[in-house]
Amino acid sequence: MALAIDSPRFGHVEIDPESVIEFPDGLIGLGGTRYALLTSDPGSPFVWLHCIDDPSLSLPVTDPQRFFSDYQVELTDDDAERLGLDDATAVDVYVTVVARAELAEFTANQKAPILIWNGQGHQVINQAPGCDLRAPLFAEVLGGAAPADGDGG
Amino acid sequence: MLNITRRRGERVVLGDDVFISVLEVSGQTVRLGIDAPRSVRVYREEIWLEVKRENEAAAQAASAELPKDMPAPLKTDSGDEETRSVSINRAPRAED
Repeated sequence: MALAIDSPRFGHVEIDPESVIEFPDGLIGLGGTRYALLTSDPGSPFVWLHCIDDPSLSLPVTDPQRFFSDYQVELTDDDAERLGLDDATAVDVYVTVVARAELAEFTANQKAPILIWNGQGHQVINQAPGCDLRAPLFAEVLGGAAPADGDGG
Repeated sequence: MLNITRRRGERVVLGDDVFISVLEVSGQTVRLGIDAPRSVRVYREEIWLEVKRENEAAAQAASAELPKDMPAPLKTDSGDEETRSVSINRAPRAED
């Protein structure tokens, strides 16, 4: 049986229980433990991490490797053990996106990626050097109008 | 706020399973050791606050439309594949 939410963004949405992602700790500083990835435009690089417990809460996220080709995630040993992750675990990685009026002002948070695997999700602190909390997403595409200090080195 | 004075080597216990030790005091700097169950997430406050603010800023954009007419991403999309996996590396334990 599908879960139904009334989303301010997408209207009435039925969510297949199999696509529910459990975030046991929520997102850092935000509530909600059940999310789903929604999109109305499959061609867009952005998808919405939509909270099921609080339908008014949704964040645009993207695959960081589409924008930052050398993006890496490094976890502390403590985090890796806490999450039961090792080098062999295949996880999907997303970064949160802050959308603003101008494309040149769009940023992604390289410092706190969201890892999703086996139906669970965790937002972690990335220990890789050179990660930017507000990395410009389109700096290079737009011809370097913004300082190019956010590409993770 | 509860105010507790501790000396080097002494601990504070939160609940039954979180132990905070004063490892070293040097000038303005205090080194703490935190012994907590794996389920307890521990952050430096400034990092926690920065990430919380970015999450909130991202969530606020929910009422705006993301542009449909996007500049081409740096990497071409490979069709149906949703996301690529990124290998998870382990960082050396932070010692500062």
